[in-house]
Amino acid sequence: MSDATFLRELGFIILAAAIFSVAARPARIPSLVAYIFAGLFLGPVTGFLTVSEAVHLASEVGIALLLFLVGLELSLEKIKDVGKVAVAAGLGQVVFTAAGGFVLSMALSFSPMESLFIATALTFSSTVVVVKLLDQKGDLDALYGRIAVGIFLVQDLVVIVVLTVLAGLGRQEAQGAVGVGANLALAFGGMALLLALAAAASRWVLPRLLAWVAHSPEILFTWSLTWCFLFVLGAEKMQLSLEIGAFLAGISLAQLPYNHEMRRRVHPLMNFFIAVFFVSLGIQMEFSAAREYWLPGLILSLFVLVGNPFIFMWIIARAGFGERTSFRTSVTVAQISEFSFIFAAMGMGAGLIQDSILSLIGIVGLVTIAVSAYMILYADPLYEYCRRWGLLKMFRARKGDEAEEPERASLSGHVIIVGMNSLGRRLARELTERGETVLAVDSDPRKLADLPCPTLLGNAEHASVLDEAGLDQARLLVSALHIEEANNILTHRARARGIPVSVHAFEVSHVPELLALGANHLLVARDLGAERLLEAVQKHGAFQP
Amino acid sequence: MTALAFLLVAASLGHAVSRWLNLPAIPFLILGGLLLSLAGVTPAGFLEDALVLGLTFLVFLAGLELNPGRVKRQRRAAVFVGLGQFLVLAASGFGAGMLLGFSTQASLYVALAVSASSTLVVVRLLQRRRQLFEPFGRMVLGVLLLQDALIIVLIPVAVLFSQGTTAVLVGLLVTAGLALLSWVSLRWIVPFLVAKTQGDGETFLLSVLGFLFLFMGVSHLVGLPLVVGAFFAGMALSAFPVNGLVRGQLASVSDFFVALFFTALGAFLSLPSAGVFLQGLGLALLVMVVTPPVVAFFAERAGFSARPGIFSGFLLSQTSEFSLVVGLQGMVMGHISQDTFTVIALATLVTMTLTPFLATDYLTWKLLDFHPGTRATDLDPPPDDHIVLLGGGSNGQALLEELSLAAHEVVVVDDDPVIISFLEESGIRTVRGDVTDFEVLRMAGVSRARMVVSTVRRPEDVGPVLAMAGGTPVLARAFNVEDAEWIRERGGEPILFSDAAADEFLAWFDAGCPAEDGDGT
Repeated sequence: MSDATFLRELGFIILAAAIFSVAARPARIPSLVAYIFAGLFLGPVTGFLTVSEAVHLASEVGIALLLFLVGLELSLEKIKDVGKVAVAAGLGQVVFTAAGGFVLSMALSFSPMESLFIATALTFSSTVVVVKLLDQKGDLDALYGRIAVGIFLVQDLVVIVVLTVLAGLGRQEAQGAVGVGANLALAFGGMALLLALAAAASRWVLPRLLAWVAHSPEILFTWSLTWCFLFVLGAEKMQLSLEIGAFLAGISLAQLPYNHEMRRRVHPLMNFFIAVFFVSLGIQMEFSAAREYWLPGLILSLFVLVGNPFIFMWIIARAGFGERTSFRTSVTVAQISEFSFIFAAMGMGAGLIQDSILSLIGIVGLVTIAVSAYMILYADPLYEYCRRWGLLKMFRARKGDEAEEPERASLSGHVIIVGMNSLGRRLARELTERGETVLAVDSDPRKLADLPCPTLLGNAEHASVLDEAGLDQARLLVSALHIEEANNILTHRARARGIPVSVHAFEVSHVPELLALGANHLLVARDLGAERLLEAVQKHGAFQP
Repeated sequence: MTALAFLLVAASLGHAVSRWLNLPAIPFLILGGLLLSLAGVTPAGFLEDALVLGLTFLVFLAGLELNPGRVKRQRRAAVFVGLGQFLVLAASGFGAGMLLGFSTQASLYVALAVSASSTLVVVRLLQRRRQLFEPFGRMVLGVLLLQDALIIVLIPVAVLFSQGTTAVLVGLLVTAGLALLSWVSLRWIVPFLVAKTQGDGETFLLSVLGFLFLFMGVSHLVGLPLVVGAFFAGMALSAFPVNGLVRGQLASVSDFFVALFFTALGAFLSLPSAGVFLQGLGLALLVMVVTPPVVAFFAERAGFSARPGIFSGFLLSQTSEFSLVVGLQGMVMGHISQDTFTVIALATLVTMTLTPFLATDYLTWKLLDFHPGTRATDLDPPPDDHIVLLGGGSNGQALLEELSLAAHEVVVVDDDPVIISFLEESGIRTVRGDVTDFEVLRMAGVSRARMVVSTVRRPEDVGPVLAMAGGTPVLARAFNVEDAEWIRERGGEPILFSDAAADEFLAWFDAGCPAEDGDGT
């Protein structure tokens, strides 16, 4: 705290990320590309900042949270049914890219050792980039999203094998095949253990534990994060990647009824740390020898950008998936991974390659990540374009795969009631009886029990909750809450979207404010209750002598 | 990563224990951190980073909440009571510091540390009791917000004290300048930024955080402590509806860092020696003994009656998370020793933990006995076969009008002198006092009345009259089904206000509530 270096670094990183992403919006540049450019500005361009240990940790936290989110979104069943194609595609692509990359590098007059490193660096795609974009599009749950996640997890396992082999080779006392084999066994054994732990906890321990604190969002949040990082720690200790640890932690929580709320809470936190990750990625890029290698860099990038999706499309279409799904999955692998930089740096550290190769890989990385980000975000228009030009005929994929998209059940013309106190509950019940579709929202799971209508657990003050409640398609928003600020925000939001709102004005002083915000109707319990009181008094014969 | 996992585990444990005991979380988070430090598993570098980041968000959040609109009509009372409590406690704290042999500067820090109450703890308590929007609740909220702002503004004073009066004055001037910048941002810059980035949650979050870091950078440039910049950044975002948007996006990020803050803080402490321990307890005792009477005094001068005044005093008898901020700042600048900081931390821990035990109706009634208030005089002639109305304010107005039209005798019980004088002028008999006071109820002739009508907000307040009523029917207002049950069990007849509102709503709905932005009502 004496010099607050971490705060200073973080401040510059966040400020740069904010400025670049705001500037990028009109040009519809994907946010992660903006972050990388912010990092390029802070690092290679101005030499202003370097990545410290603390920032590195923050980046890792971002990756962990991202994969935790993915795990929360999916569940073991959803992963199982894309398992086979994921393994086939994941392994197939590794083989193809490694081989093709090696051949191409040799053709570009690199030495065999350099070609080996380049090929390996090109082979792996970036889990973080793809998952972040899929999450942004909301497509993690779509079929192609699940296949993509499966593929990346498989590749993660291959990475672990590669790293373990490398570590074994790099040791002073050359371990030999047995030593390396033992390490591999440890890694895979560890993963099996974590998987078993996740499954067991999910069935027996977690439901009761979390039910105890479910009504307190902060404790629930803290506990789920602790669970995530304990798994991450365990994974690291067992020589597995932190991605796998976080993912398993997320999966074990995916079955619980509060996983939506947890996801909504983890999301902003993840966005914060992931921004740090991408900026620091940009800062660490090495371009000293970029000038001489721009052409090979471009060629290799094209290989990744076109070649990888090509082979993927082929494999997935063979597996029987529809053309559109195959296409959308294939464009997700058109980039290299952040691991490629680490791998190249390791090679340079071991004196096996020059730092110029690092620059080359940097170029390929930047180009492929940036372009693939566009490709993924605009996959649908791209698909239409390719289809119209007949580029996809060669894959002979099955047409008509609309059935493979998940059913996006959405409410429309419904009444959203926020706040399941006595007033809210009575309204929910009565309106449901009248045949209306009602969605009951509350942040306390206990208050959502025993209701005859669909419910949503969440804090309605948050925009994401209202979006999930389908505010734009609703017919009316009712708030029975006893909280002034929340009622103000709800009224404001609903009226901004043109949705009528009826809100509980439990205090006379609050009425002008609510009317000024445009509330269509006020639930004024007090005045009306007073009338009731009067009636009761009369009934008791107050007005007889 | 290991350190982070450990810190999170400690935080989870702290939360678990506090939830189990149903007490405020902050003390237990600190204790969790203390356990960590005893186990020696977290490196200082990481802890410092966590502490700094957590501190930033804590103060930023406090600035974000600083919206005077929430206090509504109690603003003057809040300023009066808040300043009064602040000055008296600061003076006592300073005196205590000097008595304990601290240097003048260290005593200044102690004075600042004791003078504010904890916004986090008290607001949570008031929310649970559903009293945040009552007049005294708003007053207390105003007090808390005022004290938060005062501490932030006065931290530079404590920091610059050793550099002489000029430095202090310059510091205050610069702080005022930063406040002005914050105000300008609030009016013009922030609305512009929000309009640009609102649609996209991710960009909005980063812009808000960028804004925060920018302010902290400016604050650093002009030689002020970082926390001042963070607070004013929050203030710039405190206007409606921006603050709601920010809170929505930032909630989980800040929860994360704030939990880490308190745990990391605990991990920085070490087990106190007996002397330090006693000093901490002494300071805690000072706060808990001085605050209630002082606050009650000022609250009554501001027009509140005795019971809410005393209760507010109990509510505010603790030191704040900002006391920890002050202490940390002092320790970082080398102006106070780690022992002194531990004293402050201990006092905060103890007072925060004990507040739920102090701020109870039971203790308030007990203290009320010592109150030298004017007793109501017996009514002459004693009322008979009348209607007793508990609560003569706006809640009872409609009823009063009808009853006086019917020329039926009503006796109103209320403790607000303004209402009492208004009613007396209208020729209605009154008993001035607390509706939960048996003596007052006796004077109102509850046992001889035809019926009792209660419009008071909290069902618990109807308890005494239900106990005393005997055969007299008691009609009591209730909002909740649970409250209605409570009243019914004790022999009263609840009038469910929520039902009334629901009926009216359904009538409006059936009549055809407006379509999307079609006709208004």
